[in-house]
Amino acid sequence: MSDVLISASGLTRYYESGELKVAALDGVDLLIERGAYVVLAGRSGSGKTTLLNMLGGLDRPDSGSLVIAGQNLLTMSSAGRARFRLCHLGFVFQAYNLIRVLSARENVAYVLQLQGVKKKQRFQLADQWLARVGLQGFENRRPDQMSGGQQQRVAVARALATEPDLVLADEPTANLDSHTGESLMDLMRKLNEERCTTFVIASHDPAVIASARTLITMQDGKIAPVETL
Amino acid sequence: MSFVPSGLPMDNLSIYLKLGWRNLCLHPLRTILTAAALGIGIAALTFLSAMDDGWMQQIKTNFALTMTGHIQIHAEGFEDSRKLAQRITDPQAVMKAISNISGIQTMTRRVRVSGLASSAGANAGAFIYGVEPEAEQRLSRLATFISKGVWLPAGDQRAAVLGDGLADRLGIGIGDKLVLMASVPGGDIASEVFRVRGLIHSGVMDVDDMSVIVPLTTAQQWLGIGQAVTDIVIRADSFERVTPLAGNLKTALVGQGMEVLRWFDIDPMAQQWADFADAYTWVVLLIVIIVVLAEVLNTMLMSMHERVREFGLMSALGVTPAQVFSMVVWETVILVLIGGFSGFMIGGGLSLWYGEYGIDLSQFAIAFSFMYMDPVIHPLLQADSVLRILGAALFGAIIAGLIPAWKASRLEPASALREL
Repeated sequence: MSDVLISASGLTRYYESGELKVAALDGVDLLIERGAYVVLAGRSGSGKTTLLNMLGGLDRPDSGSLVIAGQNLLTMSSAGRARFRLCHLGFVFQAYNLIRVLSARENVAYVLQLQGVKKKQRFQLADQWLARVGLQGFENRRPDQMSGGQQQRVAVARALATEPDLVLADEPTANLDSHTGESLMDLMRKLNEERCTTFVIASHDPAVIASARTLITMQDGKIAPVETL
Repeated sequence: MSFVPSGLPMDNLSIYLKLGWRNLCLHPLRTILTAAALGIGIAALTFLSAMDDGWMQQIKTNFALTMTGHIQIHAEGFEDSRKLAQRITDPQAVMKAISNISGIQTMTRRVRVSGLASSAGANAGAFIYGVEPEAEQRLSRLATFISKGVWLPAGDQRAAVLGDGLADRLGIGIGDKLVLMASVPGGDIASEVFRVRGLIHSGVMDVDDMSVIVPLTTAQQWLGIGQAVTDIVIRADSFERVTPLAGNLKTALVGQGMEVLRWFDIDPMAQQWADFADAYTWVVLLIVIIVVLAEVLNTMLMSMHERVREFGLMSALGVTPAQVFSMVVWETVILVLIGGFSGFMIGGGLSLWYGEYGIDLSQFAIAFSFMYMDPVIHPLLQADSVLRILGAALFGAIIAGLIPAWKASRLEPASALREL
């Protein structure tokens, strides 16, 4: 099996603003190996989130190719991409994006249920992951009963509970104070080292950038030379 | 290592229900208002339908049991010709031949002829019925409509009972002399003298303004037809048994030159009234359903637009468009079941209550009696009507839920996640 998890070539994505056509991604080529811990850095509007959305199958490029875990995302249907995300990807969003009517345990167990894991097993796994991210005792709390940092930890637990090949995180620390943000990045880095889960994190937070093993800097929809730290 | 999805649709039913219920609970006031609108609509539908069924039952019962009976047997062609030449010459044999057929509650014989009724000062056209006084009381409700005097007394061969409208036109009352004239077989005119013993008021114009009722044996002698009759009238065990019973009677009487007619064959107008009233009620029901479902659609669309980001998130997590679609439909179903069940309990309860005690609409009694309806309506809660309403509401609600469900399932996750 190849060590390459993500192979992208010539990814281009235009957005139209009135009569103006803006290239959010402009011919991006990218190779990321399994187990990598990659930070996408760059200013707002540099194309980080657009690239992350492409890698997550949440958006489609206007041209280019994209293969993740040996599967071509661009030839898949909407349902096929959803199933791919369920089996291979985990997401951590800037705004946490937990399901507000579900408890922490239920939020984590939800993706396991989608995978067909039986009730008892999925709740056990959810509790284990919540404990792993330091939220033992918070299992029955709903998102509005937790702090931002706690919610983001639940999001990390949810992203990792299905043991995905790749976790995509978009500005995960943007809404957290510096201490909580550092703590979260320590956790993600530790999980990367322990489980060899590949992380691609888009951020312009210096602390996050400092935690990168591979740093990709984006500017005007293009990738600057890759820097391995 | 990754898990492989399996058994997604059924296994996810519990999460659809959980998410649907909790999302509805997230906006309790909106949910209560929508469920209340739905509940009131279903309650109105249930009650209106029970009223409709009660009316229909009254119309059918009153029409069939005021005079006509459930089924009539005549000599072939009598219903069209109304001539005494087409009569049943041996009614006892016919009654014996059918007496063992199940579904017959009671039967009686009649002679029916059109003629002229005369008093000392006036005359008027009349429908003259020769009836068996005792047996007639078991079959029809004529005797219950006596408003003055008495029903045909036993042994009084010259007694006559007539509609109060006809009595007014003739200017006669109880104890007065009444002369009836009619054509007899062979073409002659025969007349007979009777004494008015009772007046009836049924509210049905044909009965009150046109009918004269006399003893069968006197009518047979007067008309010179021996033991013959024109009608053998049958009361069935129930309306539901009328059609199969008529089929069995036709089979039993095949080759004997008889016609077997159901109550609605004799007067299709009554059935048409019932059908018209039924259709009218269903139009009202349809309008109520549309209004109620517009409310459901509005609520679900609002809910969907508020949760665009949530649907985008679910899509990102691996929920397929079909699963998003199902989830929204299930949420609609839950909302409809809450409103529908509460509405059915209210409407059903009201129907049962008024079914027992009746709704007094006697202010409109004249209009109702013309249509064979009683001034007091007793709603009738029938299982098939209730199932039809609940089925239609559920079906309609699912249709209403399809639009927001379709919209939610078509959302692009990246743009949905950008929604505030």
